[in-house]
Amino acid sequence: MTDLQTLMKLPGALAAFEFSDRGELGAHQIAPGGKLDADSLDLLCHVCVANIAIATMQARGWEKVTGAQGFYPIQGFTLVGFEWTAVATENRGVVMANEQADYEQAYAALAG
Amino acid sequence: MSLIDELVALHGVFAAGEYSYRGDRFSYKGHVSEEHARMASIMCRATSMGVHMQADIMAGSYPECGVAPAGGWVVRGPQFTVCVMANVFCFLDNQASLNAVMSILRTRLADASSDLI
Amino acid sequence: MIKRLLALDGVQVICLFRDDGALVEGYGVLDESGMVRLAHFAHEYKRMVQANADQLSMFTQMRGWTPPRGWIVRGAGASVCSVGNLVCLVENREASLNEIMNELREAASY
Repeated sequence: MTDLQTLMKLPGALAAFEFSDRGELGAHQIAPGGKLDADSLDLLCHVCVANIAIATMQARGWEKVTGAQGFYPIQGFTLVGFEWTAVATENRGVVMANEQADYEQAYAALAG
Repeated sequence: MSLIDELVALHGVFAAGEYSYRGDRFSYKGHVSEEHARMASIMCRATSMGVHMQADIMAGSYPECGVAPAGGWVVRGPQFTVCVMANVFCFLDNQASLNAVMSILRTRLADASSDLI
Repeated sequence: MIKRLLALDGVQVICLFRDDGALVEGYGVLDESGMVRLAHFAHEYKRMVQANADQLSMFTQMRGWTPPRGWIVRGAGASVCSVGNLVCLVENREASLNEIMNELREAASY
């Protein structure tokens, strides 16, 4: 599994973190000099868990109704914010500056 | 070329469209049925409203937090990915370039209002 | 009119909000800015619950979920209850949720 140190090497990485199934922040790293702290990361983790749960419900319903496959189980959720982007998979995530965000590289690193 | 045309012309993008924040209208192009596009627009609108609320709550607790106002979101499944910026949605298979789609969405919708109207 | 809901056991705050989320009136232990925030949260949460109920109906093809009449978010010590455009903040220890939801339903129908 890719460690947090490696996630912090993604372009524009501001923080890398782990979270529980309920969204509580676990191990994390924050780039020095930034505005993020553990409390805001903890809230962000809850946002990620909430949206992965919503997307899972949607994928389940969509696949039942349409007969299509390929969305379930949800592998990740990304929030594109005003300045920052957060990419999260099952229990880990990374925050990147919008201008440098490389979504594909982030998902690949989180899957590793 | 319209944004929706530009998106569906990309390799691996199989549908793109937009919905009204009121939830009463949608339009789309691509290889999905009208009914499935309607469902997709309902789902995307629902998630967008939740994401906006969550980002606003984060900003309420952490005013310098860089996530608010929310611009959009991405959900990734084993084969397919859904991207939404403002009120535009895009369905793509995972062989497509997510970065290319996001780049177009973010560039073309950079000035989109964050009011859900 | 809604002020009388404060007389129910456990109800700390009662607010009425407009369809755009603006506070119309509020009573209880929160200050004005707290009530504005509660009204705003309730408005956004209501829209989210409506959207998720719509999806549940869409996927299950079952009527009965929509339009949702109200919602409760229950925390360890406090809950937020809402029906229509009314929302109240409740202390769990003292409150009867059934009584509060019934009163909210009645008040929301005025």
